[in-house]
Parts: sequence; structure tokens; C-alpha cells
Amino acid sequence: MLARHSLKLPRLTNMCASFCTATAEAAAEPLYNRPKLAPTDYRTGETNTDLHSKVHEAKFYTIAPEIKKQLFSGGGLPRQYEQQVKTFTETCLMVRPAGLELINYIRNTDFKRPAIRYVLYGDNGVGKTLIMAHALHYGLQNNFVLVHVPWVPNWMKRPKETANAAQEGFIDLPFDAAAWLVHFKTQNTNLLTKLQLKTSKDYVWSKREATPAGSTLLELVEHGIARIKFASETIAALLSELKQHASEDKCKVMVAIDGFNAFFHPETRVFGDHKQRITPDRITLTQPFLDITNYNWTNGVCILTVDKIGMTEGFMESYMPRYLLGKEGFEHLDPFVPVRVDNYSDKEFASCVQYYLDRNWIQKTPEGFDEQLKYLSNKNPYTLMQLTRSL
Amino acid sequence: MASLTRLLERNLRNSSTAAGRRLYSQTQEEPAAGTKHEFDDEEFRVLNLRAAKQTDQQKRRVFKKEAALPPRHLKMATDQDWTAVWPGPRTFQPSSVPLPLRQGYTEKGAAPPSKFVNAELMKIPNFLHLTPPAIRQQCEALKKFCTPWPKGLESVEKWEKHFPIEVKSTDYCHALPTIRNPDARRVTLNIKLSDLKFDAHAKDKFLRLVGDRYNPNTGILTIVADRCPLRKQNYDYAMYLLTACYHESFVTEPWEQNKSEADMEYYSFERNKSKQTAEAIINWGIPTDAAKLEVSQDFAQTVELLINEGENEYNLGRYKEEVLKLLSVRNE
Repeated sequence: MLARHSLKLPRLTNMCASFCTATAEAAAEPLYNRPKLAPTDYRTGETNTDLHSKVHEAKFYTIAPEIKKQLFSGGGLPRQYEQQVKTFTETCLMVRPAGLELINYIRNTDFKRPAIRYVLYGDNGVGKTLIMAHALHYGLQNNFVLVHVPWVPNWMKRPKETANAAQEGFIDLPFDAAAWLVHFKTQNTNLLTKLQLKTSKDYVWSKREATPAGSTLLELVEHGIARIKFASETIAALLSELKQHASEDKCKVMVAIDGFNAFFHPETRVFGDHKQRITPDRITLTQPFLDITNYNWTNGVCILTVDKIGMTEGFMESYMPRYLLGKEGFEHLDPFVPVRVDNYSDKEFASCVQYYLDRNWIQKTPEGFDEQLKYLSNKNPYTLMQLTRSL
Repeated sequence: MASLTRLLERNLRNSSTAAGRRLYSQTQEEPAAGTKHEFDDEEFRVLNLRAAKQTDQQKRRVFKKEAALPPRHLKMATDQDWTAVWPGPRTFQPSSVPLPLRQGYTEKGAAPPSKFVNAELMKIPNFLHLTPPAIRQQCEALKKFCTPWPKGLESVEKWEKHFPIEVKSTDYCHALPTIRNPDARRVTLNIKLSDLKFDAHAKDKFLRLVGDRYNPNTGILTIVADRCPLRKQNYDYAMYLLTACYHESFVTEPWEQNKSEADMEYYSFERNKSKQTAEAIINWGIPTDAAKLEVSQDFAQTVELLINEGENEYNLGRYKEEVLKLLSVRNE
């Protein structure tokens, strides 16, 4: 026994020694010799999205707080990302290839032609919503009237309140509709006051209430917000007015709808008169948004995302657009431009890690941590964000 | 008379004293008189139970096992006619097979059991009746029944061309009192669908009529007829089925016009909303009386491919390319 112990001891001491030296090295050089990126390698000062090009790919650009407030105060950034933004005290979006592709398409669009529908698709957490946010910023900077629905499944899955609509068999979501009108107003007040778009016909809401022809769209929206009961009808009126104005070349409209496939889901969690689930087409909000995503107008661009999280169990096998939209949805959108959103490339990944280091979000940097993160997250942006929370 | 009375008197006198006693002593004394006679030679009789048997018993026959003959193969000549020894299929017989066969599992290092009383050798099928000389012999014997191969049917392609229908049936040969086998009536008819001439509607209808008798992987239609008792009847029935289905498929019934889009087997761009939309988009802004633009065939094909084959990155990528062409947008 003694002999065995004596044999073991030297090995143990060896191990101890090597361990100690390793820690010592780590302490001496917290960032081991990985390629360090200068701030210009992962950040760009170019806040004008119209000028974003291949040069800015994989770099972060900052959105000013007031712009962020205007664009996303009613939703539009994922909740986790919103928290991160708060922690980092700045709103930075990465210029992703899919975003650049989308902006290029919009830039090259002939707006005399029917509205083109772009469908962003991709696996969970690859950044579809943030690419849409990028596109929205582009729309804002290029004087598009924004028709932005942050997350359609919210209406279908957890509506604030339901009420029977004036139309037989239809269901209104008055609070959600009013909230959307508020969101629309925040995003577009500046532009709409400048454009002074007028309603083309009288809208009679009830015996005493009416919006006469010639009142501004902002008045229409404000009426909808004040009289929540008519909010859904106001949305229908507003969208048809916008479509008409765009077709008459008075304005450009960017429609951005996240979770668009929820409009074609076989069922909702909204209950009808007989306590049975109703289909999305029985919700009054559906039809106006389907109308505005139709091809039969000009000066418009539709950016839609299809997301399998928007579906319920049993309909989440694939993230491909035809599967998520179903037959009806596909027929409604066809021909659309599918834009695939992928996980980070190596360059984007390095840039993102560097950004996190810059924000002191990653503080422990043992040797090979970025390689580890790469394999753990599979370069998926959302997974990377979750993994680095504890680092 | 006087003597008679005297006799009676003496009897009565006796009876007055011992009449009652005599009445029952008589019964007691009689058996005593009998045994007295038996015991005269003063020996017990022996009850011999076996006496009868012993006399009748014969000697049990002893079966003598005949001494086993030496195995037959020891007497076999080396140039004998093997086909005569083993003319047909048969279980392995060690004595008649002049081969030093061994077969079976043993402990490691030991030789496998020899061919005698070896169940392993008896279990497995043998082909000792199908030796090359035996086959040669049988072929020679059959030759006189053969006719020359028809001219013009030298290759598979040729005979498939001239005889597109393949009919299969099975003859059974066995040792039973009856030579009939119920399975012999079954007739299988095979035909390649490409050998039949169809139009689009007829083909669709024919495939619906035959159902799972058609194998889409091989393109072969198989009709099995076994409902009639005789092979001839089944053959006729199979041919009738083929003929009837073929001709029926060319008939268009009035209710077939009601087939809607949901009933279609595959997606066709021509009859769908996608075509209307695409045409409306490319004809946007063109006056109604002017000539309409047609949607490119490539776009139609990619849409059909996307839906019929199911979506994957490749199909979706092609669709995207075609859409970009159709809408004339580009990614610089």
C-alpha cells in the first residue's frame, strides 16, 4: 500500500503544478491571443439605413433612443432583446445579409408596379424580427407610412377583450385594435401631419358619430382610439384609405407584419358565441390586413415574417413558408419573394461576441470561450444571447 | 299290522324323550358326516392357483436382431451410375452416400460427428439428385419434346414488344390421391402501363379504377384472378378485367365534371389562383384591350414543383429566382 501511495504522489504534484501555471497564465492574459477586433470592425457609425451596403455587413449600427421610442414603443423588438437593449443602454442592430438583401430589393423596386410581398422565414431565433426592425428603420428614414403589426399571434392567442362585431358571426378585438392604432399613430404622426392625407368618403360609425370625407387620417385614427368600440372598423377604413392614397401616388406605404401565418392558422384561441374556437377569418382585424397584403395596389411594399412560434402545437413541424402559410396563405401571397434568414456566419458571430465583450456582457474569457460558444449556440443569435447571459 | 304298530310304538317312545332333540341335531350332524369322509387321508389340499397357467404358458419368443449389413457404399463400384443410386430428392442416407461426410457441433478440438445417425445431415436439404450428370441426362431426355425458339423473339425487348402481357400460373406436382391443387387455378396478369395508350383523362381514370394493383415505382399493373374454380376461367376473367377497365377509362361520365380543385391529384399551375395573380401582376398598367402577357413557363414549373414535390431549400430557391424575374426586382 505504501509503495502505491508513494507512486501516486509525484503524479498528483505534477498535475497540481500544471493546473497552477494554467490559472496563472489566464490571470496574466485575460484575453488569450484570439484575433482582437477594433471597434470599427464590429460597429459602424452609419445610421442611415439607405446607405447600408456590403461594407457594413456584420456590423452593429445604433438607433437613436427617440427613434427607437417612435418605432418600437408599441412592440416590434423581442422582449428578451428589449431587456438587453435596456442593459446595454443603447439600441444596436446588426446589419445582416438578409436585411441588406431586403433593403436592396426595396431600393430597386419600381413603385409603379403592384406591391411586392417579401416573406422572411427561418428557424427559431435567427433574427427575423430584428431584420424586420432594420427594414422598418429603413422605411421610417425613407418616408414610408408604416403599417407595422408587431406580432399577429397576440391577437389570435391572447386577445385582451373580445366582443361581437356588427357583422353577424364576427368577433371584434376592440382593445387590441385600439392599441394597434396607438402604435400606428406613434410611428406615423410626423409623416402623416406632413402628408395631410384626407379621407375619401364619409364614415358613419353610429347615429351621432361620423368621420366626414376630407378629414385627415390622423383624425380618423384618433377617433378610433377614443371610441374603442369602433377601433376595428377604423383599422379597416384606415388601411383601405392608405391603400387608395398609395395607389394615387400620394404616399408610400411599408407593411410589416410579424407572424403573418397566424392569419391562416386553422384556429384561434378566441371563443365565439357557442364557446367554440373560431377561425382567424372570423376576426374583424384579419380582412383589412389581408387586403393590404394583396398585390392590387402600388407604392407599397409588404414585409411579412412567417414564424412557427406563431402556430400552435401540431402545426410546428417546419419553418418553411408554404407549410406555415398553408394552401390559402400561399395562394394569397403568391408570387412572393422568400427571404431566408440564417444563423450567424463566422464573421457575424465574431462581431457579435466582440460587441458583447465591448458591452462587458461577457466577462469571463477563458481560453477558447468563443469557440465553445460557437459550438454551444450553433451560431444561433438567440441561443448565443441566452448563453451569454450568465457569462 | 301288529308289527307296524310295534314299530310306531318304539318310535313314539323314542320320540317322547329325544324327538325334540333329534329335530335340530339332525341338521348339525349332517356336515360332520361329510368332512369325516374327506379327512380320511389326513392331508390338506393345496390350492394351486398357477396350476392351469403353467401348463398353458408358452415360451416367450426372443426377437433376435439381425446383424446389420455392412453399409451399401462399401460395395459400390467407383464408376457406378450415380443417378441410379440417387434418382430423386431424398433425405440423406449415410449408407448409400460414399462420401466421408461429417457434420455437427462438438467440443473444441474434437472431430465433428460422422455421417451415421447424424441428424444434422438429415435435416438439411441435399442436392445429391441434381448432380451435373443427372441434369445432363434429364435434359437429353427432354430434348425430344422441345421445339425450336420462334424467330424474331431473340431478345427480351423483342418479346416484350410482341407479348406485352405476361400471364403467370403455377402447376403443382405432388404425391397425393388427387392431382388437383386449388392454387393451380390462380392466374396473375402483368402488363406495363406504358404499353397501353391513354389520354390524360383516361390514364387518370384507369389508375383510379385499378387502385393499388398499379405499382407506380415499377410502372407495372398486376391483376390476380382466383375467384373462378378453373385456370381457364380465371385467365378469361383477368383478360376481361383489363379490357373492361381500359375501355371504361375512356368514358367520361357527366358527374366527372364536378371534380373540384381539392379532388385533384397534383397541383397544376394552369387551374389555380396563382396563375391569375401572376398574370394580373405582369399585366398591371397594360390597357385591357392590349395583348396579354403570358406567365413564363419556368415560373409555372417552379410553382408546381414547390407544391407537388414539397418545399425544400432547393425548390424554394428556384421559386425565389423565378419570382424575382417575374417581378423584375433584383438584389444589386
